[in-house]
Order: sequence, then structure tokens, then C-alpha cells
Amino acid sequence: MAAGLKTVILLSFVLAVGFLLVILSCALWANWLPLLVALTFVLAPLPNALFRNCSTDDFGAADYAEGSGPVDLGNFMTACIVVTGFALPLVLAHSGVIHPMACVMSIVGGGLVYGTILSYTAVFRQDADEF
Amino acid sequence: MSLPRAAYDPRRVCVIPFPVAPLLRNKRAIGVYAAGALFAMAQWLFLDAAILSAHARPPPDAPYDEVPVHVTFVDWIPGICSTLGMLVVNLINRERLMGEGGMSLGGWGEGGVVWRARLFLFLGFALMAGGLAGSVTILVLKYILPDYPDKYEYYGVANVAQNVCIMLSAVVLWLGQNTQGEYEYRLAL
Repeated sequence: MAAGLKTVILLSFVLAVGFLLVILSCALWANWLPLLVALTFVLAPLPNALFRNCSTDDFGAADYAEGSGPVDLGNFMTACIVVTGFALPLVLAHSGVIHPMACVMSIVGGGLVYGTILSYTAVFRQDADEF
Repeated sequence: MSLPRAAYDPRRVCVIPFPVAPLLRNKRAIGVYAAGALFAMAQWLFLDAAILSAHARPPPDAPYDEVPVHVTFVDWIPGICSTLGMLVVNLINRERLMGEGGMSLGGWGEGGVVWRARLFLFLGFALMAGGLAGSVTILVLKYILPDYPDKYEYYGVANVAQNVCIMLSAVVLWLGQNTQGEYEYRLAL
């Protein structure tokens, strides 16, 4: 239990640092477009989470090996959104809309936010499965 | 996947098996993730060129010159074709394609399901190949031949890269989804 508590505290710190970096990357140059990166990374696991339970057929038996259309769609959309999160600041910096430093900061911050979400689901997956 | 993990596997070539078993188990998910990443990368490559073109300014030493070329709707057409082709290819039911629909559904006969499925597959691949060819055409005709500076040729190159990435994405998705009956499908395809 204590380990779980420590993990939660650590993850929340990392999440806060990620959001700090993203918001700094916006505020330092007074250009709030990089805030979209945080939104993108928060949205990224959503399709996966929505479609995860669609892999069971009518008889209630899960066929993970066979795979199913909705689950694949969720995976596809998640991958799309993650790449979007990384590509958006790069594109904005390339065309000179945001400062290159803001691009780096928002990518690192977004990566931290998404990493937090990923590791949170990975660490606490067992509890969800038992439930 | 369905075969038992016995000491002797008739499909095995080497004495010591390759340590790819955990990777193979998630092959389908990995393929779909890779396809999604490639697809998004393709679209962002082209959007990068489009946004760059929209923000293009004349050089500072000649502020009254006009930017010679912009990304217009013509540049969007190959990408739209490729994306449509990828949609068509991946919406086809694979079992129909393999002719497993059964003779009761028509087979190769008039209005046969297999025949129609293969026609749709052909249309999808033709759309993708047409998109790729169109992007190369635009690169050559619009950007290389009129002798622009190098930085404008990037628009055309990004367009070609977009279509190549969409095609790769479709291929990866196709291969990734055909992994359930590995042995049989590898022979059939």
C-alpha cells in the first residue's frame, strides 16, 4: 500500500512538472498555442480506453488473439493523436509561429504528461482487471 | 498462436528459437499502432508544408517581392486520394477477399461477392497509387521545372513523403491485421 502511495505522489509530481513546462512554454513568449499539446496528450489514451471493452463477442468470451475492429480503431486513433502531440509544436516552430525553445519545452512537457498517464494505467492495471 | 508450445514445433527452422515470442503476441496491436503513427506523420508532413507556405514571407532584403509559389488546393488532391484509397482498402472484409464466403454467396459468378471485393480492393490500391503518382507529378511540374529556390521545392517533397507514408501505413495495417492465422495466410498471400 505504501508503495502505491509513493507511486501516486511521484506520478503527480511528474504530471505537475509536465504541465508546468507546457504552461511556461506558452507564457514565456505570450503565445498560447502550445497549450494545445497538453490537450492532445490528455486526449490520447481516450480512444483506447473507450474501445477496450469492445473486444468481447456476443458470448462474453474475449478474443484478444483475433483482435476486433473497434479495438483496432482505438489503437489507430491513439497512435494518431500521440504523433499529433509531438508533431504540432514541431510544425508550429518550423513555420515560425512559436519560438523553437517553446517547441522543445512543450514537447518535453507533453511527453511527461503522457508518460504519467501511461505509467499510471500500467501500474494500476491489476486492480482494474480484478474488478 | 493456436499451436501448443511444444518442444518440437514443425514450423521451426532453427534449433534455438528466436526470442520474439512476446513481441509476436502483440503483433497485431503493434502493427495498428505503427500504422496510426505513420498516418498521422503523413498528414502532419503535408500540413507542415501548407502552414509553412501560409506563413511564407518575401526575403528581408527584397521586401516588395512576391512569394513565387504557394500550396494551393491542387497540392491537397493527392493526399485526399491516398487517404480515400486507404479507407477503401481497409474497409474490405478480408474473408470475402479470400473466397471463404462460400459458393452460396456467388463465388466468381455474376454479382459474386469475391469479384466485387476484389474490384473494391483494386479501386483502393488504384486510388493510393494515383495519389502517389499525382504527388510526384506535382513535385515535378509545379516545383522542380519552374526553377524556384530550394526552399519552395520542400512543398513538393513533403507532398510525396505524405503519400509514401500513407501507403506504408496502409501496408502495415494490412499486414498487421492478417496475423491471426500466420501460417496459412503467409502461404495464401
